[in-house]
Amino acid sequence: MKCLLLANESAEVLFYWTDTEFEQRVQEQYGVSQEEGERLPAFEDSINTLFAPIIISCSTMVDRLGDNYTSFSTENNHIYVLHQFEECLYIAVNGDGDETEEDLKRKIFVMKKLTEIMFGMVTFSGALLRKELRPQDTEQRNRLWKKLRSLLETYSRLRENDQSFLVEAVERLIHPTLCEQCIEFLERRLVQQINSNMDRMGEEVLHAFILVHTKLLAFYSSRNASNLYSSDLLALIILVQDLYPSKINLDETSEMAEDSLQTLEAPTPDPSAPSRVFLESKECPMPHSMYCLPLWPGITLVLLTKIPNSHVATSVCYFLEAFVKLEKRLCEGHEGAAAMRGQPSVQEQRSRLEKLIKTWAGMDIQVSGQQNFKNKAFSRSGSGFTSDLLPSCRNMKTQLCGVYRQFFAAECMGSSQRLAPHLQERALSMVQEKLMDWKDFLLVKSKRNITMEFPGLIHFIYVDRSNGQMIAPSLNVTDRTVSELGKGPLADFIKKKVWSLVATAQRYLQKGYATVTLRDGDYFYCYFLWFENETGYKLEVIDIPSSPDDGAPVGMLTCDYYRKLLRYYSKKHQNEVVKCYELFTVHLGVIPNEYILQHCSQLARKLWEPTRIPLL
Amino acid sequence: MAETATLTDSRRFFFLYDSSKVQEEVDLTRDGIYYFSPEDTPIDQQELLCGQLAGVCRCVSELSSSPVRLLHLRKSKYAVRMKDKFLWALSCVVDIPDVSVCDLLDQLIALFCFYNGPVRQSYQLYSKQELALRWARYLCHLQGGSTELHHIFSCLRTIDSTHIDPLLLLKAALILQACQRCPLVLAGCILYRGRVVSTQMPPALTVKVMVYETQTYSQDFQVTANGLSSLVGSPFSSTATTQVFLMPTELHMLRCPPVDRACRSHCNQPPCQPSRSRLLSRTLSDTPTTDTDSSSLDPTHCPPPSYKTVPSSPRSSLSDELCFSPSPSRVNTPIHSNLMNQSEYFTPDSHVHSTSNGTNLCAVEEHLAGLNIKQDIDANSGSETKSNGLNSDQDIQSEEIKAPANGYEQSNCLDNHSDLDSQIKSEENKLDANNHVTNKNGNGETEEEAKTKSKQINRKLKEKNEPTNTPSPHETLEDTSLVPLVLYQHRVKGLVLALLVEPEFITDHSAREEVHHSSLASLNGLEAHLRNTSPGTPGPPGPYTFAHYDCIQNTLTTNVCGRSVGPQDQAFVKATKLVHSHFSRLDTLQEAIVRNASSAVYGTRTTAQETYFLQQGTPVRNSGSPDPQDSAFSLPRKARLRLLKHGVNLL
Repeated sequence: MKCLLLANESAEVLFYWTDTEFEQRVQEQYGVSQEEGERLPAFEDSINTLFAPIIISCSTMVDRLGDNYTSFSTENNHIYVLHQFEECLYIAVNGDGDETEEDLKRKIFVMKKLTEIMFGMVTFSGALLRKELRPQDTEQRNRLWKKLRSLLETYSRLRENDQSFLVEAVERLIHPTLCEQCIEFLERRLVQQINSNMDRMGEEVLHAFILVHTKLLAFYSSRNASNLYSSDLLALIILVQDLYPSKINLDETSEMAEDSLQTLEAPTPDPSAPSRVFLESKECPMPHSMYCLPLWPGITLVLLTKIPNSHVATSVCYFLEAFVKLEKRLCEGHEGAAAMRGQPSVQEQRSRLEKLIKTWAGMDIQVSGQQNFKNKAFSRSGSGFTSDLLPSCRNMKTQLCGVYRQFFAAECMGSSQRLAPHLQERALSMVQEKLMDWKDFLLVKSKRNITMEFPGLIHFIYVDRSNGQMIAPSLNVTDRTVSELGKGPLADFIKKKVWSLVATAQRYLQKGYATVTLRDGDYFYCYFLWFENETGYKLEVIDIPSSPDDGAPVGMLTCDYYRKLLRYYSKKHQNEVVKCYELFTVHLGVIPNEYILQHCSQLARKLWEPTRIPLL
Repeated sequence: MAETATLTDSRRFFFLYDSSKVQEEVDLTRDGIYYFSPEDTPIDQQELLCGQLAGVCRCVSELSSSPVRLLHLRKSKYAVRMKDKFLWALSCVVDIPDVSVCDLLDQLIALFCFYNGPVRQSYQLYSKQELALRWARYLCHLQGGSTELHHIFSCLRTIDSTHIDPLLLLKAALILQACQRCPLVLAGCILYRGRVVSTQMPPALTVKVMVYETQTYSQDFQVTANGLSSLVGSPFSSTATTQVFLMPTELHMLRCPPVDRACRSHCNQPPCQPSRSRLLSRTLSDTPTTDTDSSSLDPTHCPPPSYKTVPSSPRSSLSDELCFSPSPSRVNTPIHSNLMNQSEYFTPDSHVHSTSNGTNLCAVEEHLAGLNIKQDIDANSGSETKSNGLNSDQDIQSEEIKAPANGYEQSNCLDNHSDLDSQIKSEENKLDANNHVTNKNGNGETEEEAKTKSKQINRKLKEKNEPTNTPSPHETLEDTSLVPLVLYQHRVKGLVLALLVEPEFITDHSAREEVHHSSLASLNGLEAHLRNTSPGTPGPPGPYTFAHYDCIQNTLTTNVCGRSVGPQDQAFVKATKLVHSHFSRLDTLQEAIVRNASSAVYGTRTTAQETYFLQQGTPVRNSGSPDPQDSAFSLPRKARLRLLKHGVNLL
């Protein structure tokens, strides 16, 4: 029994997802309370009514107590997790014991991440996000919600079955020679050819990578490209898996999709149309187009391109940030010059903004309210920089988000903006040709990536948090093929244990514990997190700050915990590059502790090598 | 905006809310608030919290068809119980484990029901104000005066057995066993200064029995509610009986203990059969040695069960009591002069009631005087037992006790205080109505009158009950299936013998005499020994910190001091919370080592115990990478070695 919903402060549901069980439960409840002959209310209305008291109580608690609910649990172990992002309240429910409170919190943060990937800076404005998530047009809304539900289900499937989504790090196929060849091919042949072609319609390929299922074979970024963060790469893999699901659990997936889709079948998507994705950069979420080209079932080529006008995002973001700062300082009670402290001169900003607005006007994009702000802020009769300015300051923020939306949000994009279809086809066939002989090998390799022989060692996961990559023996228990662990109940049991080990380790890490060993039943579990410099010298352990229970979950896909952790550690080691590693192991409990620890130490040393394979 | 922002973080709230009182739009939230702690919380804030939490709980429980158990907020968390339109909520700071705060709330509710019976019924019989005092007391009992570790494990407070001659513990156990020979006695425990010396009851029951004791001796609690604080620490000896309510499961455990109690040789003997052989005092004083050193008592040399006690010579430790001059005119003081027992005021079936406003201090003092004498008599009778043997003992007993008509005794020394009496009378009537027992009151009110009154109240109760008597879908804690039983307490200064006895015990005059007299001398002796045992300067705190929790007895042994918590101790407590929480979630987990830069804590558990250990001192520089030389992994070995001397065996 599962449910996830987003609501705004006026208790309006912006999006919901439920499984069949939850839906049935709600309908039963309404069925009982309905008078005979009366029709059942629309499911959406029932959901709205059922959750409204909780949503309203949330705002009351925030307003009057300055506190807010983070979770509820009931005697029959149903869990409700709540999280407020700005004006948006997320509620996730589980009533079947499949998910823990932590899982639900993570799901909420992933949902948030997915909306950021799809809508970028639009998520900064509650009003606009509402427009985006809840389009007036029913058909459009159904299409969008179907897409979001499908993404959520894809994520849940990956989280449940794929170790790289368990630890939230990208898994690479370990084949250094092939990897290097592919990178070279992507750079010299593919990207160069596309970027020099006239039919690219102003787009420029910045990143190109090849996925075998969820594992990364090769990744190339052009010189002009900014860094692609692991959190984004993981989110993109969800998008790719949503478009071209791996066969692993295909049966279940289609079943799940049917369950949750009461809406009309969407028209077949245009195969050559890219998806709009917003990727993190130093300045702001930058719009990109993503092309997923299926080479063979399970093997996909992904191209990320820079789109025309993307520089507008940077300037919108610049002003948005200025207004956010101004609003914050005004709220804190600063007035006059103090309100603008820490920002370039007011006059300079004013003229820059005016210039920009003129340019946008030329592109048929209007920014209303700017005059109002100017009058209030700068004219003699106006109030200047006082708290009276707050409403128009907020209005400007909304306006800027609106501009961003008009430029980049998917629905507004002209459907013609894309790399010419023939160019896409050419790219596809080039890579197919290159990998033709490797195809079967890759598909098998993706199931048996690495094996390690240590007597008594059952399983391990090794993660390099500096580059967001992990190595682990396969654990595909639902697959028909046999993984390193074999299949059947034992493999399933071990899988559950591994999943709970990671969750446990993350919980302790969140409270500041970087080493954990556990004896649980017949098994012995270890978790280590440590820092090294670039040459592999192990750096001294530090006290890791413990984060609050309602903070972001430990991981990389959502609010990148490890990026923050590395930044925190680097402050103390400013002269060297700091790397962060994690090792999770499961051993048989009968092995003496000394041997287990020796194993772990050897394992860390051995695994250190493969992570040195250059990605670029 | 956020008017009470500071309120929710630091303060602990507890409230009982009756949503059946707030159903229409016009109903005020405050009408549903039965109790709210802290009581000085402004009413609008009480309404806000109760209203919001009750609303959300209702909504969630409807969605999930199950009562809400826990509400987490960013700055606090609430354990919740929902039964029959009632909602209890108890808050704590976020880092207390869920399992601990839920346990605490359950204990609190159980405690209330133990002394007051079903909740709805209690609120029909007594005013909110009266019951508020009781809630406050129970809350204080459970929350006050113990360390954070005690809260984490919700454990019983026991005497520090490391500084006590083990033979004294044995003696306490023997006293309890002796009492159990009376078939009406189900189980008992002995408390000294608010701490458990020995108990035969399951921990959940022991904690209930301890309420008033713990509070009296809790360092940081001052009794102010009823003006009886002047009684604290006064030397006296007395007995009291109180009606209590047990859950059928609890009762079953007491009546049919898992282990056959061979010592209960009188199980088949019909109760209420006074006989010589019922004098059971047979503990330390039975030993044929005159050596006052109790350590010479060898448990294996206990004489075989015999009802002829051989009194030993008066023990030097009793001389304190002997120097009180017994007043022969007061020999008739009944054993139940229980005014000094603070519990009386709060318990429905106590027979004497103190005043709530503290204005009757003089009366109280007079009673105290009487009590002192009473105590003298006790001491005296104890010694007489020793000098004159069984017969004289019995004589005194029969002289001392006036058999009450209905098994309820009334302190004679109240006779002259008519104002207090009338107050007591009215209260008693109310209280007795609850238990459907009439009270024979020697002060003018006839039994008949009392009966009429109680009938009236019963009728009223019935009327009140009817509209709300809809069957509840949930099995309730405060179910009407609670079984009334009697708690008998015998106090000797700081020492209390508490026995759970069958209700007939009250009417069974001879059984009471027997229990009283058989234990009296031993209690006096035990009290003197315990009093003279210096708490002992806690040896130099070892280079380690540990906590050992006995899950069966629900007790904690630790070297973490309550007040002065150093950084190492804080680190220890923090890790203990996390690991305990983990143990409670995962049954198969046996041991854990968790380490951050400054500390490493080892936790291990079996079905019977949980042990936590931290080695102090600056940790050797380490990287946190897997390293067999890492000192953190030698913790299990160190814990095994170090804790042996604390009686903790981890092998």
